[in-house]
Amino acid sequence: MEPIIQIIQLLVLIGLIVTALAVVFFKDLISAAIALGASSLLLALQFYLLRAPDVAIAEAAVGAALTTAIFIFAIRSTDRKEGCK
Amino acid sequence: MKKALALVAFFVIFSFLLLGVVQMRPFGEPENEDMDDYFLGDSQKRHEVNNVVTAVLFDYRGLDTLGEATILFAAVSGVLTVLRRFKDKEEGEK
Amino acid sequence: MKWEMSRVVKTVTDILVAPIIIFGIYLILHGHLTPGGGFQGGAVIASSTALLIIAYGTLGKHKKDLSSIEAVGLTLFILIAFLGIGSTVFYNYITGTGFPFGGSLPYHGPNPGYINTGGTITFMNLMVGIEVAAALSLILWMMSKRGGVMEPKGSSSKKAEGKD
Repeated sequence: MEPIIQIIQLLVLIGLIVTALAVVFFKDLISAAIALGASSLLLALQFYLLRAPDVAIAEAAVGAALTTAIFIFAIRSTDRKEGCK
Repeated sequence: MKKALALVAFFVIFSFLLLGVVQMRPFGEPENEDMDDYFLGDSQKRHEVNNVVTAVLFDYRGLDTLGEATILFAAVSGVLTVLRRFKDKEEGEK
Repeated sequence: MKWEMSRVVKTVTDILVAPIIIFGIYLILHGHLTPGGGFQGGAVIASSTALLIIAYGTLGKHKKDLSSIEAVGLTLFILIAFLGIGSTVFYNYITGTGFPFGGSLPYHGPNPGYINTGGTITFMNLMVGIEVAAALSLILWMMSKRGGVMEPKGSSSKKAEGKD
């Protein structure tokens, strides 16, 4: 594998860890849902770099678009902040 | 007590994950290659299909795909059942 | 529950929905040639539905249609699979005949691929795509219809609060 691909993979993995920690530590649930979408997008990029384009398309469509939309629909119906009431 | 338990669980799971990473085979060299070679050679010969993933998904392992589609159907049925709206409430909201 | 986004979001949605749906149809129909397939294309089409729901807040009165489309897709998938029961279930009985998508590759080995190949695999891709698109759109729509606590103004929120 070329070194430039390895550097990109390293950056994507660091970004995955950062976004996953952001999902846990955000108190605003909509911010957490958006961070989860960003994490899914980075995971799709990682799948693509590992030569699994089928899984990458499925992850980008389901994880980044549909799951974020469903989470935001659910958060609209409940409280936006974590742990109030 | 709770924190100590969480710490122990964290280290156990983390060590298992680390073990998996250390014992991982190199990229592109799976352990058994017999089925891979069969699929790669047979999918163009028998089905005239270029995308081997689709050939595996819909022909060799077609029953698994049938189960996946059934699971999706069951999920939609569950969502429609849980989130249904009763008759009087629907009229009241209009 | 009814809500609408601003004019900017609506215009961008109007521009983007058609290319997204066409990309999903491309993924489904080229499932036997390029990466992608029924599930991926259906999920992409359902994401365009999510865009429409977020921008306009409603899909109209199409719930019955969506569930019917989903059931028809699943039934046709099972039917196509079991039509080959003469030899085995999921037998590719179209390849080699003159039926649409029943052609054969010019030579075996690395080639660009032709869309007139695939046999039952192409039809199953189509059916699974229809089913997944309808199912995920239906799930999204049912999830979006039950909201209403957060919405400060709107036609239905006051009545809902009064009933609760």
